[in-house]
Amino acid sequence: MKKARLLIVDDEENIRFLFKEELEEEGYSVDVASNGLEAIDKVKHAVFDLVVLDIKMPGMNGIEALNEIKNINKNLPVILCSAYGEFKQDFSSWASDGYVVKSADTNELKQTIKNLLGVA
Amino acid sequence: MHPIDILGKIIAISHSNLEIASRINAILNIITQDMPFDEAIVYTLDTDKKLTCRYKNDKSVLFPLLNEYRSHIGEGIVGSVAQKRIPQGFTFKDVPPRLGCLFYPDLDGYIQKYRAFHFIPISDDSYLYGVLFICASSMERLNKPHNAFLSMVAREIGGILRSNQLLISSKKRISELATLSELGRVLASSSIPQDILNSITFIIAKALNAAFVTVRLSHSFLKIDSQRFTYGEIGSESKEIIKKLEMEVKNQEKTVSLKDLDTEGYRNTTSTSLYSAPLTSKGRFLGTVTIGGPITQSGSVMEGNGRYLIETIANYISSGLENTLLTTKLKDVLKELNSAQERLVEQETFRNLGEMTANIAHEIKNPLVIIGGFTKRLARKTRLDLTENRYIEIILKEVARLEAILDEVLNYVKESPMVIKDSKISDFIDELVFLFTSDSAWEKIEITREYANNISFVPCDDQQIKQVLINILMNAYDAMQGSGKIVIQTGLKIINDRPFASISISDTGGGIDPAIIDNIFNPFFTTKDGGTGLGLAISNKIVLNHGGYIQIHNLIGKGATFIVHLPIKNTTIREERI
Ligand SMILES: Nc1ncnc2c1ncn2[C@@H]1O[C@H](COP(=O)(O)OP(=O)(O)OP(=O)(O)O)[C@@H](O)[C@H]1O
Ligand SMILES: [Mg+2]
Repeated sequence: MKKARLLIVDDEENIRFLFKEELEEEGYSVDVASNGLEAIDKVKHAVFDLVVLDIKMPGMNGIEALNEIKNINKNLPVILCSAYGEFKQDFSSWASDGYVVKSADTNELKQTIKNLLGVA
Repeated sequence: MHPIDILGKIIAISHSNLEIASRINAILNIITQDMPFDEAIVYTLDTDKKLTCRYKNDKSVLFPLLNEYRSHIGEGIVGSVAQKRIPQGFTFKDVPPRLGCLFYPDLDGYIQKYRAFHFIPISDDSYLYGVLFICASSMERLNKPHNAFLSMVAREIGGILRSNQLLISSKKRISELATLSELGRVLASSSIPQDILNSITFIIAKALNAAFVTVRLSHSFLKIDSQRFTYGEIGSESKEIIKKLEMEVKNQEKTVSLKDLDTEGYRNTTSTSLYSAPLTSKGRFLGTVTIGGPITQSGSVMEGNGRYLIETIANYISSGLENTLLTTKLKDVLKELNSAQERLVEQETFRNLGEMTANIAHEIKNPLVIIGGFTKRLARKTRLDLTENRYIEIILKEVARLEAILDEVLNYVKESPMVIKDSKISDFIDELVFLFTSDSAWEKIEITREYANNISFVPCDDQQIKQVLINILMNAYDAMQGSGKIVIQTGLKIINDRPFASISISDTGGGIDPAIIDNIFNPFFTTKDGGTGLGLAISNKIVLNHGGYIQIHNLIGKGATFIVHLPIKNTTIREERI
């Protein structure tokens, strides 16, 4: 079976690195982008099964990027992943498919991805 | 020198600005230098109705002897001239043995130097001021021209003495006026009513030389605890009378003095003169002021014009009380506003603090996730012994603890549960406007408020809605770069049969760039250096939690209008049609 392709978008290099390592270990193929524009560019030119998006990023922030990505491909699942829990309940109003509070414990992230890809 | 010239000189002196003693003494010197007189002495009539030998020519030898004794009216020659008010002349042979209270033998050798003696009353139609006493050694008797001359001199001196008395009484009048102006000053000062009333009684008592002054208020006024303010000692005998006077004043609504009280008993048992006057304002009886002083007291301003004085004072106190009541009311309102402002500042700092901690926490959260994440990976990858495993566990436990703390900090809106109560929106808008306009940075911003009268109470968490309005107002300020106009309006709107209260805030900040307008509610979306981009995101969240929504009218190049819609129950709409 072909590996599912994930795009991790975060302005913090070591977060990208951590998530990449953790998710590759789960058997995904993982690409990374360090900001919203780069992410949109990648979504335009490559095929992904799911995007993990940080919200607070310099330049274009996660929610703008989310809207752009959905414009390009409204069926591409996007998970917002933020240090803030504040907006956890609001994720659906921003057309995202999931909201994960960033944590050293990556189990929630992994579970959310699994659920979304299983449904897809 | 011709007598006419001498008189000219005298008149000039009497109208000069010199002090009274210098003027009279100078006149007496002139008449002894330029006329054949050796002694010129002036007796004056004092308030105790005694004659005092007060002024003299420089060369007078009798003065030091006469000066020591004072005479009653009618006593000796001086006394009888004063009493009869007709001039009298004597030679050494027929001069009566008694000058005033003194007998000539007491004056011994001195009096024998002189041959003619003349006494001229100093008086006008109604009043006697004193007696001019002349001695001459060069003649037996004064002639007619001498007499005429001296009576003119006496008239001049009388003029000086009269103007002096006028001066004294006008000084008294001035001190009355000064008292009133001092009262006015105290009454106009914005100190607390108690202090004002206490100072009033003190000032009146001191200025009028009164034994006591007592103000009684008939109602217990706003914030005035005590009903009676007194300066001075009130004898126990007077207390009852004062109460009776105050009652009379209240019933008759006019000034009452002790003499007006028809109770004989009171009049005889007290040694005090009493006046009591009503304090009224706009036809309302506020209380009384009562002034008392010993009956025989001389030099008291109360003498003679007590009724006039107390009525003037009562007027002052009345209008002062009115002012005081007003300022007290104003002060209360101000105090309320101040505490509201303090609360808001607190809230505002809390809000900024919240955003700041959110920022810091965010900065800490990422490294923590990284530390924890890789520690976990390390633990999984490496075969560790028991102690090493314990180390890892400790790191992970601590990371988890820090994460939990940060999550709490990061969810500061969620952490504060909504408290919904009916809140008067115009009140908290007023509070906010007061808060902002008292900040000098908002000087160049003109805020207009227009409140709809069919909406006042809205069920909401007023603290949270205030936070929303603060965010919107701060954004307006930023957009206008510190100068422009803000209009705040409230209104009522029916949307899908459901009533909403609306609070609309318009600015003249040029509006929102259409390219970004879809993003402004997004968390962390900001176009500002140092902006968190949380203001509208959180505001929106709060309003949504209330079941409302935020609407934007964007006039590009002009300004933006943010309208907060909050649902209301049908019953909170005031019935306008009735
Ligand atoms: N009245 C307004 N006029 C023009 N632009 C506005 C107005 N209100 C908001 N904006 C735009 O919306 C953006 C987001 O506002 P928001 O209040 O969410 O964050 P912020 O003001 O940038 O940051 P913070 O509120 O933390 O200071 C602003 O940066 C600004 O570009
Ligand atoms: Mg803002």
